[in-house]
Parts: sequence; C-alpha cells; structure tokens
Amino acid sequence: MGGCRKRYKIIVLILNILILSLVFVPLTHAEEDIHETDIELGKKVYNIRCEICHGSKGDGKGLVGVIRRVEKSGREQVIYPWDLTQGVFRFRTTPSGCLPDEEDLLGIISNGIPISLMPSHKHIPLKERNAIIKYMKTFSDRWEEEEEEEEFCQPITVKKPEWVGSPFSVIKGETLYKKMKCWECHGHEGKGDGPKAKDLKDDWGRIMPPFDFTSGELKRGSSPESIYITFTTGLDGTGMPSYEDALKEEDRWYLVSYTLKLMKKIK
Amino acid sequence: MHSKFYLSLLLISALVLFAFIAIATYNELAPEWKRYQTEYKDLLIKNATDEATRERAEKIEIGMQQIYLRDLKKADRCTSCHQGVENPLMTDAEIPFKKHSADYLENHPVAEFGCTVCHYGQGRAMNIKEAHGEEHAHWDFPIIPTKYIQSTCAQCHDFEMLKQEGGENVAKGEALFREKGCMGCHKLNGVGGDLGKTLDGLGSKARAYFPMKYVVGDRTIYNWIRQHFDDPRKIVSESEMRSFLTEEEADFLTTYVLTFRSEQMPRNYTLIKNIVIPKTDGESLYKMYCVACHAEGKYSVYDEIFKRTIPAIMNPAFLRTIDDSHIKKIVKEGRTGTHMTAWKVDAAGLTDEEINKIINYITMNRPEEKPEPFGFSGFKNDPKHGEELYKVRCALCHGEDGKGGERLLGINLRSKDDDPEFVALTVREGREGTPMVPFGKKGVGLEDQDIVDIVAYVRTLSLSQREWTSEKKRGEEKDGRM
Repeated sequence: MGGCRKRYKIIVLILNILILSLVFVPLTHAEEDIHETDIELGKKVYNIRCEICHGSKGDGKGLVGVIRRVEKSGREQVIYPWDLTQGVFRFRTTPSGCLPDEEDLLGIISNGIPISLMPSHKHIPLKERNAIIKYMKTFSDRWEEEEEEEEFCQPITVKKPEWVGSPFSVIKGETLYKKMKCWECHGHEGKGDGPKAKDLKDDWGRIMPPFDFTSGELKRGSSPESIYITFTTGLDGTGMPSYEDALKEEDRWYLVSYTLKLMKKIK
Repeated sequence: MHSKFYLSLLLISALVLFAFIAIATYNELAPEWKRYQTEYKDLLIKNATDEATRERAEKIEIGMQQIYLRDLKKADRCTSCHQGVENPLMTDAEIPFKKHSADYLENHPVAEFGCTVCHYGQGRAMNIKEAHGEEHAHWDFPIIPTKYIQSTCAQCHDFEMLKQEGGENVAKGEALFREKGCMGCHKLNGVGGDLGKTLDGLGSKARAYFPMKYVVGDRTIYNWIRQHFDDPRKIVSESEMRSFLTEEEADFLTTYVLTFRSEQMPRNYTLIKNIVIPKTDGESLYKMYCVACHAEGKYSVYDEIFKRTIPAIMNPAFLRTIDDSHIKKIVKEGRTGTHMTAWKVDAAGLTDEEINKIINYITMNRPEEKPEPFGFSGFKNDPKHGEELYKVRCALCHGEDGKGGERLLGINLRSKDDDPEFVALTVREGREGTPMVPFGKKGVGLEDQDIVDIVAYVRTLSLSQREWTSEKKRGEEKDGRM
C-alpha cells in the first residue's frame, strides 16, 4: 500500500516538473533573443506597410516613387518619401544634428504626416510600431555609432510662457521675422513665396519649397510647443536651420506667436 | 429777467429755422446739375472764337436734359451734367464737360443709345451720388469701372467683331473662359458641370444674390466677381473653386462673366457681323470641360481643395488597361462618391459626338501594346481572404471603406461600372506616374489568386448583397457551361 503511494507521488512530481519545464522553456528562450525577434517582426511589418514608399533598403526609393500634391494656392508640390539610410531626421526633440529619440519616431509612425500624405499607423499594435523603429535603425550605421553621445542629445525641455499669442508678443515676433530674414524664404505673408523660395533645396539637392503657413497644419502639428521645437532643433536635411544659438529662448517664443498669427490661429 | 432770456431763445431758434429753410430752398432751386450747366455755358462763351458761336452759346437755356429711349425702356438724364459728351471742342475739358473718349459715339449717338445702356448707373437720378450709384446708393448696377466696361459691348456685338474693333478685353476673357475650363464645374446655357453655380444671367443679377460680407471696398457685383477670382475661399468660405489667374487674366474674365445677362437687347440695336462657332475639336473640348480638375492628366495628384486624389486620365498605364467603352461609361455617368460629373446629354449636357471627341483626344497617346489579359473569371474567388489582404495592402491608401478621400492617396474604388477584369489588371500592372504600384509579380509580389480575392472583396463593397450574389451565380453558370 505504502509503496504504491510513494510511486504515485514520484509520478506526480515528475509530471509536474515536465509540465513546468514545458512552460518555462519558451519563456526563457524568448527572453534570450527578444531583440532578434523584434527586428524580424519589424522587418515583416515594414515590408508590408512602409516598403512601398520608403523602399526595401529604406532609401526612400520605393515602388511609389514620388507623390504629387496641389495646394489651395495652386502650387504643386512633389513629395519624396524620406530617405531613412542617411540617419538624418527632421522631426526630433533632440538638438540639431542629433538622432531623434524613440518617442519622436513613434510619434511620426503613429500620427503620420498628414500634409505629406504619410498615413497614420495608430491602429496597429504598439509592439509592431516599436518593432518598426528597431528595424529602421538597422538602415543607418549612425544609430550604433552615436549611442554614446546621449548626454548632448537629450530631448530639449519645452516650457511655454503664458504670454505666447498675446498682441505684444506677435509684434515682437514680427520684428524678429523681419530681422532674422524669415521672409526671404517664407515670404512676407508667410505664403512660402519669398525671394529665395524657388532655389531652396534639401540636403540631397531636390527642390523643397518652404512651408506656406496659410495652406494648413504644419507637418509636425501646429501647437505652439511643436513650432517652438522646430525653431530650436531645426529641420535637419532641409533649408530650415536651428535657431537655438542665434536667438534667445524668449525670442523663439515671440516667433512662435507670430507664426501662429500667420497661420491665422490667433487674431 | 426770465422773460428776456426766453425771448432771446425764441429769437435764436427762429433764426436757425429760417436759415434751414433758406438753405433747403437754395438747394432745391440751384441743384448741382444747374451749377454745372451754368459753368458749361460760361465755358462755351469764354471759348467762343467768333460772334455767331457766342450768340448761340448765350441763347442756351438752362434746364433738365433727358433722352427717352422707347425700345430700351430707358430715360437717361446724364447729359444734364455731362453736356459736352458730343462736343469736339470739349476734348481737353474737365469732367463732367469732357467729350466722350475715342470715337465710340460716332456709331452710338447719344440721342439713339443714351448712356446707361453701356455705362450702367441710374439714368433717372439727378445728382451724382444717385446717378453713379456708387458706394451705398443701393443701386444694383452702379456705373461700371472702365476696366470692365467692354462687357456691355457684348450685349449687341459678337466676340469676333469685338476682337478686332475695340473690344479686345472681353474677347480675351471669352477665350480664357474656355481655356481655363470654367464649364467643368459651372453650367452655362444648360451645358457644364454641376459642382459650381449656374452662370446664366450672372451679370444682371441683383446685388442681394451675392454674399458680400467679405468683399473689400465697394460692395458691387464687379468687385465681388473680381475678388472671387483672386481668392474664392476668401469670399465664399466653403468654395471649392480653383482659380489660378494673373491680375490681368482676372480682369478679362470678370469682364467676360459680366456679359452673361438674362435680358435680350431689342433687335434693332444688335449688330452681329460674323457668327463664329467656337472650336469643337477634342483638345478644345477637353480644355473646356476637363482641364480644370485633370490638368494635363499625366500624374495623379492629391488636391487640397477637393480633399481627395484626382486620378490621371491621360497616363499611358491607365490608357493601356482601359477600353474606350469603359471610359465612355465613366464620362457619361460620372462617378458617385467623387467630384466627377455625369456628362451625358440629360445631365451636364454633352452630346455623344462631343464625348467621343474628348475620348479620342484622351486616348490619342495610347500605347500600342496591350497587357496580358488577367482572366479574372477563370479564377475562383474568396472575398473573405481578399478582405484580410485589403486591410493590410490597400486600406492605407484607399481607406478602410474603399472610398478614398481626405489625406488618402488612393481614389474611390466603389464603382459598379468597373469591370473586375480591368480592376484586377490595374492591381497587377499598377499605374506609372501615380502612387498605384504594380502589386503583381513584377512589383510587390502578390499571387494572381490573391489579387482576384482582393478585387472580389472590393466588388462586394460597391455592389449590394443581392447584386453580388447574382453576379456570382452568373459567373458559376458560365463556368459550368464551359
């Protein structure tokens, strides 16, 4: 009787161990190369959703080629899908010349860039969006090389003063708009028709006209904060420089007020 | 003390009243036209070179002048002030005595034509503000600015004659109207698209017809039309009009648009020298009805005004896959859910002949080689599988519901008229010059079966359940027979 019970106990123990090990094996395995599968998943999602425009190598030479868009003013714009292999990105919260942080990239992937017809990917799982970022980083060596520079490339802090948008700040901004020669590209009325507008090119020599503030929302969104970020960090790869050194923080906020005025967001 | 004060008050008020009465009487007895007439008389006497002229000038009686025109139903009193319009001696005089410029009056004597038939304004009025009708005089047709005045010539004359004899601006406007494709959206004489307002009689519509709220300066219909050309959405905020004109072109077009009048001139006034029928070759027709939206038709563009993608209709890749009868069906019936008008006779008013000409023009550069047929009906289809693929592959551009639209690069796919074979071919081959890439083995790499499933799913979107089942049944019967 006792021997039978002992044998029974041993069998249960062995079974338990077996079941537990079955449960743990895949878990430990997954933990080991989570990085690897992330990149694989990223590649899979990228190839379905992004490759068609940005190309299989991320060089912006997908099957679609270019996209044409006609603005309300009749100006036709040719939009080139962004080249991801250069490691140069416009929409960052990090200082000029830095790589964007993951949140910046996630923001662009999630919200898209409506005016450039880059679609939003909010509806796909967060895991997949993050995986795309992981995969995207394999396109350029810059991501590995500059991993150490983290201290300099911290995202900038944005603290909007209360007076942004006040009539006084708009006037201040207007004088700065003239003084800093913003109008040379963006035009006196912000219509993107300044004297230098036609010759403006991006870093790869393609024509890239300045933004027409009367045409709609900005690529990055039109909140005062995001306009401030653009002034501070610049749009790398395009004609829009960073004004972090040229203007004081206060002055950049004045310009934000005037930009909002040009966009007719405030009266 | 008190009584003296009240007495003086009474005296002062009596004096003020008397002064008012005196001024009113003076104004009534000596209105501005009387002053002008006296001045004109003095001018004539002063400039007289011989006795006879002086005597004649001195005999001029001062009084209201009126030209009554029975046929035109007009009574113009303009000459009460503008006395020297036909006097050659007054060439260098000041307005209002100045002679009419150029030689227009040689063929249009004031006694027969009056003034307001060409210049507008209120003929019966006897002071400048009311007669010219400018500013806030509440007159629908105030005196017309010189830059638009040629619009009134077209009441009686044809454009061919105007082109040669002093009506260049309005003739240029007429040509522009056709070239810029205004009738792609606006109806005129029953022909034209249905996106914009009908233009018939626009030039003779009352001011109240126009939303004047955002017009800068005088709220006249001339200013409304002109400023509407400059920026349509500034005047009518929800306007979808596209107007990319130079200043000069906008002036010419305004002049021309003002010629659309509802009333006709009496026959003894009209003078039509040569009736020229506008050109009706394919290219001209394409410009008149299609160019405003489709432009050159080589590339598809996302349009910020329509908030959707406008397809490329003269793109070789499109022409290769589509046959004439299909284009004709689209042109005639239009596309529901898009901005494409139905152009058949009883809708937008184009005859079959005209539509054929346009189609011939569009397909002029059709490439020789045809793509390999897809053979859609030879496959079994599975819309369920197609739906999965559609959500991943197509929805990004064409939208989850296949309707295209705002911020989407794809066009509306929901159309009953689209033959599945044609759609499948387009998916496989793609369209160069547009964001539609080849999804077949040449490009993205979908299998033919996958494409069939996607097309079947898209078909279920545009057809009702019943239509889809009956189509499927027909297909199966056909297979069975084969």
